[in-house]
Amino acid sequence: MNLTQWLPLAQTTENFWRKMPGSTDLYIWLGVGLLLGFGILFLLSMVPSHLRRWVVVTFTFLAGLPYVLAYLWPKPIAMDVATQLPNPGEQVGFLINAAIDPVGKLTNILQGFLLGVGIFSLLRVHSMKIKRKAENYGFSMVLIVCFITMATVGFGDWTTRTFQDPQGLLNDPVNWGFFNRANDLLFEGIYQQMDAAMFSMIAFFILSAAFRAFRIRSVEATVMMASALILMLNLMGALTFVWGNAIDGLAAQTGNTFLLNFKLTEMANWLRSNMQIPAIRAIDFGVGLGALAMGLRLWLGLERGGVSA
Amino acid sequence: MSGEQYLDSGWIGTAFTLLVVFFILFNIYRANKGAKNLFIRRIAGLNAIDDAIGRATEMGRPVLMVPGIGALDAISVQAINIFAQVTKTAATFATPVRICCANAPVFAVAQEVIRDVYQQAGQTDKFGAETVQFVSDQQFAFAAGVSGIIHREKVAATFLLGAFFAESLIFAETSNAVGAIQVAGSTQSTQTPFFIAACDYVLIGDEFYAASAYLTRQPVLVGSLVGQDWAKMTVAGLVLVGTLMGSIERGQAATMVRVDGENGCVWEQATPAEGQTGPVKKATKDTFMHQIFNPCIPKAWTEVEREDKPVEGAAAEGEGE
Amino acid sequence: MNFWEKAQKVDRRVLYAILIFFVCGGLFFPATIPVDPDPSSKSFYSEIKKLNPEKVVLIQSDWTNSTRGESMGHFENLMRLLMSQNIKFVFYSAADPVAPQVARTVITRINKEREGQGLRVYKAGVDYLDLGYFPNAEATNTNMGNNLREAWKGRKARVDGREVDIFATPVLGNVKKIEDAGMMIVVTASASIDVAIQRLAKRVPIMGLVTGVVGPGVLPFYQSGQLKGVAIGLKGVYDVEYMMANGINVKPGGEGKAKVEWDGNNGAEVPPVTEGKTLARGQQYYGTLHVALVLLILAVVMGNVSMFMARRRQGEEA
Repeated sequence: MNLTQWLPLAQTTENFWRKMPGSTDLYIWLGVGLLLGFGILFLLSMVPSHLRRWVVVTFTFLAGLPYVLAYLWPKPIAMDVATQLPNPGEQVGFLINAAIDPVGKLTNILQGFLLGVGIFSLLRVHSMKIKRKAENYGFSMVLIVCFITMATVGFGDWTTRTFQDPQGLLNDPVNWGFFNRANDLLFEGIYQQMDAAMFSMIAFFILSAAFRAFRIRSVEATVMMASALILMLNLMGALTFVWGNAIDGLAAQTGNTFLLNFKLTEMANWLRSNMQIPAIRAIDFGVGLGALAMGLRLWLGLERGGVSA
Repeated sequence: MSGEQYLDSGWIGTAFTLLVVFFILFNIYRANKGAKNLFIRRIAGLNAIDDAIGRATEMGRPVLMVPGIGALDAISVQAINIFAQVTKTAATFATPVRICCANAPVFAVAQEVIRDVYQQAGQTDKFGAETVQFVSDQQFAFAAGVSGIIHREKVAATFLLGAFFAESLIFAETSNAVGAIQVAGSTQSTQTPFFIAACDYVLIGDEFYAASAYLTRQPVLVGSLVGQDWAKMTVAGLVLVGTLMGSIERGQAATMVRVDGENGCVWEQATPAEGQTGPVKKATKDTFMHQIFNPCIPKAWTEVEREDKPVEGAAAEGEGE
Repeated sequence: MNFWEKAQKVDRRVLYAILIFFVCGGLFFPATIPVDPDPSSKSFYSEIKKLNPEKVVLIQSDWTNSTRGESMGHFENLMRLLMSQNIKFVFYSAADPVAPQVARTVITRINKEREGQGLRVYKAGVDYLDLGYFPNAEATNTNMGNNLREAWKGRKARVDGREVDIFATPVLGNVKKIEDAGMMIVVTASASIDVAIQRLAKRVPIMGLVTGVVGPGVLPFYQSGQLKGVAIGLKGVYDVEYMMANGINVKPGGEGKAKVEWDGNNGAEVPPVTEGKTLARGQQYYGTLHVALVLLILAVVMGNVSMFMARRRQGEEA
């Protein structure tokens, strides 16, 4: 029974949150939005400090509201969008869902601005080190030179590909110019390889952690190590094959099928299904409930101190 | 594709969520009213905070904190809340603090919160550009940057709390190499084993969310924690009841079996399959738990009254007449 | 200081040098090692082979070069499987802006490989679509579930030098909602697969190709049926390649023992892949995984033995 063919195609049409591109309505609302934005900024700057917490709490509540309502509002039953109109209850559902999109976009825009704040911090920390000639300031110089070079080359590559190549000729390296080649060298040739190298270094850290920390100091540590050993051995196909054949042979010889449970693959699958997965599921339940409680406190403005100070 | 609508089994998820919300809000209310019996068990990793800061103070080295590499969400906000408490202690001893962020919005929030902490401690001059830093939003560039800071500044303690991924072991082992005390906790269950292998103290799963309640003992946080525990007990109870009911029912003989049809379901006499004798055992679909999640819904219930969409052009024709 | 005490304090650089030597050595000797694939890998292969060629497959490619040791092998296998079954696909990323580029590189390489073997080359805009990067995985997956056409609105495909709306191409022409897709496959090294399952598992069957670290975290979803199949880590890459070469429950000449046996799926036979390359990157790396694991186990054993010997010596001295 397919009850959930819910297609809010209403989103593709005009609604309160979305005006059609090029329409007069869109420009009117853009103007109204700009005026409202400046007005709100002005009013916010006038808010006395003891009321600022309430402003933050109100905005947080309003931003979270569409997500909560969209979760709670019943989902519509299969509807033929080509021939039917949603009933009033369903229209509310569509409106709530349509409100999520602008909130999400607003979040993305804010994140874009905040990236600027982050970059400012990065450049400030390192330019100060260079200015003070602090210890190891050479690394800071390398960072700033790399930052400027990468940004210039990346921008050059993007502009040539976006504005000067309507035919898509730059997809073929034969047609590349200076910026495209430089970007390929810096990004693909250097950055990407360094990224992979950094990840592969984890192998060294795992080895040294295994040597240093994986010690049988207690019963729990012994159980953990035995389980880890079985799972690691199970990853080695050559060994599981030889072990499995030996167990098969032994079981056939003795007629004792219980022995088949001692195949490495069987033991590893049992550990995964009956130990690892339930434990992960239990931890995930706890983490999920913690996240729900935290989200609820933030949304309702119940947090004091720390972030909500 | 079941389970999305209230008519189907969607109400179970929504009802459970609302029940958890009630547990949390009710216990926050209780805690605010001054309930005394709200107990939090000892969390070793959080008791180590004072020791770690004391050691950093003695050695004259900084304390490093990383709120994971995730976006600005409940996890990173919680990490910042814990770091605010750690910074409060560090500020009283004038121990330098380094908070490294991989996400710009997390950095912006952390900067504001930590600045406030220094202001409240009357140590504004100790809050510098290096106290809260944005390093990079690329995972391994961030890992390399933070490892560099750990090595160069020879940090005395590291607090790795938040959403960590493959970089977790890089931080933990680098910190170990410089002899730092490490307190770690990731909400990613896949990273917890790495932390357990390499760090001194680890917060497992939701201990991470319990940390701010444990450190501050604020009624709202303690009440919320008790609410979560009620929810966990409910989940454990439901798992137990579900398992028992499923196990018992599967062993029982079925007298009537459910047959799903277009007009809901009908109950028919259970008959043994061809070639089989004796009582018919219940199949999964005949168990109570299965039926809760797969209710009988007659087709008539799924029919909703809706207006027809006006056909394009029909209105124009009508106007013409 | 005796040997065991020295071993306890061994410089980590010595361990690193040993690792580099043995791991690099293993890469030069690829061998076909017999393997019993994990049940989750068998489900993955079996589900792929059941796909309807009329339905498009959505691929969320969230891996980058950093995890290419595992993820690239996964993605290559997926491409070879889909191309051998003439299945159209769409790929995009919801986790990293770099991810679409690494996927493009793999597709170009697999196409060249097929061209060299005289097989049909997959054409962008006709056989597959490259949608690029979508920021914010939560919002992207939610919007895809609510209204796929709206979520992907405005994305263009370049077909024969001109830009075409993706929904006007043969790949997505018949797709109105996400339920019209045959399968969604997430290739990832992060928790982006969790988001996809949470938002979309009720609307479209989902499978995963994940790294070894992410693997245990997604197994609960596989056990609950929210994930139809998943191949995990480097072993998962080789598992799939081994099944591509040998199928499942395929007995040689109707007699003997099948190389891969599985009682899931009612013990049905799943055929091997009959065109193009099967054993590839997984085969090349799998021997190395053996070497690395042996080293890891040796390190743990050495660490413990040296700890016990040092303790015993301390006890004797006391």
